[in-house]
Amino acid sequence: MEKRDDRFTKENLKLLVEGKLDWEEVKKAIRLAPKDGDRFWKYLEVLQERVPWKDKILLRISDHLYIVAKEGGGRVVKCDCGQEFGDYRVNWKLSCRVYVRKTREEMAEVVSVEEALPNPDLVEMREFYCPGCFALLGVEVVPAGYPVIFEMLPDLDTFYREWLGKPLADERPDWFQDKTLDMPARWAKEG
Amino acid sequence: MGICYQGKTLKEAVHEKEQLFKDSGYAYGLEKLDLVEGDPAKFMRFQMRLVAACINAREIAKLISANPMSLIQGELLFLLATPEGDVTSASYGLAGHIQSFPFMVRSIADLGFEEDPGINVGDIFATNDTLYGAPHNADNYTWVPIIYGDELIGWTVGLNHIVDVGGLQPGGLGTISASVFTDGFTYPPTKTGANFKQHKWWELHWKRRTRTEAFNVLDDKMRAAGAVALHDRVMEIVEEFGVDYFRQGLREIVERERRVLTQRIKAQAVPGIYHYLVFDSVKYKGVVGKLFASSNRDWLLHKPGEFQVLPDGRLFMDLEGLSSEADFHCNAYESAVRMLCSLGAWPMFAYTATINSSLMYVTDWNLPPGSMFNPQNPFAATVMSLAGVGKYVHMFNHCLSYAYFARGFLEECFPQGAAGGGYGLAGVFADGFRWAGGDMTLITCWSSAALPYRDGDVADNCSANPAPDQGETERAEFLQPTNLNIGRKLVPNYCGHGKFRGGLGIATCQLIVDPGRSLTLAVFGSTGGMGRSATGMAGGYPGVDDIVVLAHDTNIREMLKEGGHYPRDFVEIREWLEEGKLKARSVELYQGSTANIQCKDGDLFANATAARGGWGDPLEREFSLVENDVPDGWLSPDVVRTVYGAVLDDNGKVKVAESNELRQQMRNRRKEKSVDARDWWEKERERVLRKEWCEDVYNMYADVLKYDKFRRQFMGMWQLPEDYGL
Repeated sequence: MEKRDDRFTKENLKLLVEGKLDWEEVKKAIRLAPKDGDRFWKYLEVLQERVPWKDKILLRISDHLYIVAKEGGGRVVKCDCGQEFGDYRVNWKLSCRVYVRKTREEMAEVVSVEEALPNPDLVEMREFYCPGCFALLGVEVVPAGYPVIFEMLPDLDTFYREWLGKPLADERPDWFQDKTLDMPARWAKEG
Repeated sequence: MGICYQGKTLKEAVHEKEQLFKDSGYAYGLEKLDLVEGDPAKFMRFQMRLVAACINAREIAKLISANPMSLIQGELLFLLATPEGDVTSASYGLAGHIQSFPFMVRSIADLGFEEDPGINVGDIFATNDTLYGAPHNADNYTWVPIIYGDELIGWTVGLNHIVDVGGLQPGGLGTISASVFTDGFTYPPTKTGANFKQHKWWELHWKRRTRTEAFNVLDDKMRAAGAVALHDRVMEIVEEFGVDYFRQGLREIVERERRVLTQRIKAQAVPGIYHYLVFDSVKYKGVVGKLFASSNRDWLLHKPGEFQVLPDGRLFMDLEGLSSEADFHCNAYESAVRMLCSLGAWPMFAYTATINSSLMYVTDWNLPPGSMFNPQNPFAATVMSLAGVGKYVHMFNHCLSYAYFARGFLEECFPQGAAGGGYGLAGVFADGFRWAGGDMTLITCWSSAALPYRDGDVADNCSANPAPDQGETERAEFLQPTNLNIGRKLVPNYCGHGKFRGGLGIATCQLIVDPGRSLTLAVFGSTGGMGRSATGMAGGYPGVDDIVVLAHDTNIREMLKEGGHYPRDFVEIREWLEEGKLKARSVELYQGSTANIQCKDGDLFANATAARGGWGDPLEREFSLVENDVPDGWLSPDVVRTVYGAVLDDNGKVKVAESNELRQQMRNRRKEKSVDARDWWEKERERVLRKEWCEDVYNMYADVLKYDKFRRQFMGMWQLPEDYGL
């Protein structure tokens, strides 16, 4: 087993993830140079202990969302509540529940200063919820008809092989491809 | 025989530098860092001496200025560059400008300055022309060659943001301009002095072509004096270390720190593709009229960014799909993009012992020809290029925050959205004295967005100027006596909500007093009625818009005579008007920049910015944090209840059971109101097919669908027929 870099401990990382680490300790972490080299592995341990399921976490991509390796093969996006969103190369927002705030009244429920309300002639406010736990996973303020924004497509194989030196078992050249448009294409085909 | 090392011409040296990097992957082809590795302590001493010289130049020279932005708000910078233009050391201040100077040196090299007008000991050069490397004409550069024997061994540079550029509108950051001919005083690279002294004729340009001659002449002297002082100090360092060490040392600084930056990305980020998006607006319709027919319209600007963290640790920013160039004030060139956007890079990964041009070697951009950041019209207006580019500063903050979050370095996350406001003004006092000024108070004290583990702070940072200061109000009022500051505060509830909420926006309120014959105000802001960014972070809401309110012909003078209170921000102005305490003939409200506004005695001018975004789902906010929000005045009880689902008792304590029940009800409402993405997609697709948009949105899509990448995305998302067009 590799030696732990305890200049920033797993316990402190857990508190940081929970938003409970003392600010003075956070500042020490900010000043740490170089950073603790095993941070990612400690992070995975902390995260894995927080979720109620066993799928192996490959990467955390949002507060609630993880890319996990499925036992039978595949890499999918999964909410900590257990809801799965399918292949991580497809924008997870297309597997969400969607609510759109279109009027000033609807936007005023979440923008609390009336002068600052978005202009409803120009933009709408989209909210993306987890279909399992109904956590708010994403917010977009965009003109109607704007393509859903794919916030992050990680290059997992480069990351694990070249940056971490521990390649994933199921490496494949097409893991780093945006497949989002396959989904509306399928919807259109199905009618 | 050229003036650079080994007899190369400046042009040869500049292009050789670029070729060496292209061929080897190392700055100046330096595979080995002999000086750094041979005697690290000596090298550090060398480097720190250079930095100290830059800071010394700044602190001495700024006392020559009378411009409050330079003198008290930190809008200046002094730096040292290699002959090829790479900055190796700089003072505190407008750090981003180290990205622009390489473009200026390349310009004068390509323009043949070495032959005509010549580059000699004691010469002084200057420019503020965006086509040749300046980010916008408010930022003026003055530089001096360092010549040792017959060899050019470097440049010393002074620069600052001047008060007024002599454009259509008062101030240095105009919000209306149709071409370079209405941008104001813009001068290409020019030899403005000799024998370490500016020519006398040069002063006349400031006197005749700008509104604030005194400020601008003194600023020019400040820049020149600082550059010369730095030159002299550097010559002493050259003598101490030897010219060979100096020449090699400057290059090794750049290459060493290039390695630090790529290594930092590889140690903290996750490679991949991240997407960033922001919308902006330009409103000229009915403002510029027949005089500028091609500008007499409004624009909704599309600003997408594909941010690629590459396997080798370099970064590539693809801006394909960016709105096209047009006859408006906010076009920009590559130097402006690199300059301003570096301000997002510094706090996220590009911080090193000394700021320098190594970032140039780590980042690449695609700025499509014909887009507003690569205008093909050589006379494109750029007076406010930084308003256009400013939104992209935070692409680094946004995308790298997700990258660091994924890697587990939560403490390095620093997501931000567009911010910043200020104004220019010009007037004629009762005695006929003409004057002008400008203010950047709200570009010194931004609140910050929420972090993945903590609320955003308030008035604690400024991306545009890493060493900012609001300065003394009294000094600002001495220089601009028409604008009396009666309020400067944080505004409750003015933030993007989230599990961790954004820092509250900061507001100012001014009373216009005794303007005399006339007073014109031109306000610039960073938003356009669509929030600070198009996406929130991890379920948090994006930051909300800047606010400008003008209440004309108020009864505030009478209220003050009676010794009462007065409103301190735009919310209080509105509330007081609703309550009838304050009376006004008319009220103007903007969510960003304004055209010229005529002001009279008794008018109220309120401005606000930096209401930053939240992180995470507001329904997951810890009750203990909510309990602090209300007594501290950050949030009101009704917002705590309706947005955060927390019910407070009479003592401000959260009623836990009731709040948990309310939160469950709110989640149930989410379930009832929402639909499956597929159902939403079908309805949205029908709207797209019907082309149901207002004019501005329609025009935006019509423009950006010309760009292949966005068209593929748009057509694919909505599965549109091939002949779909706008």
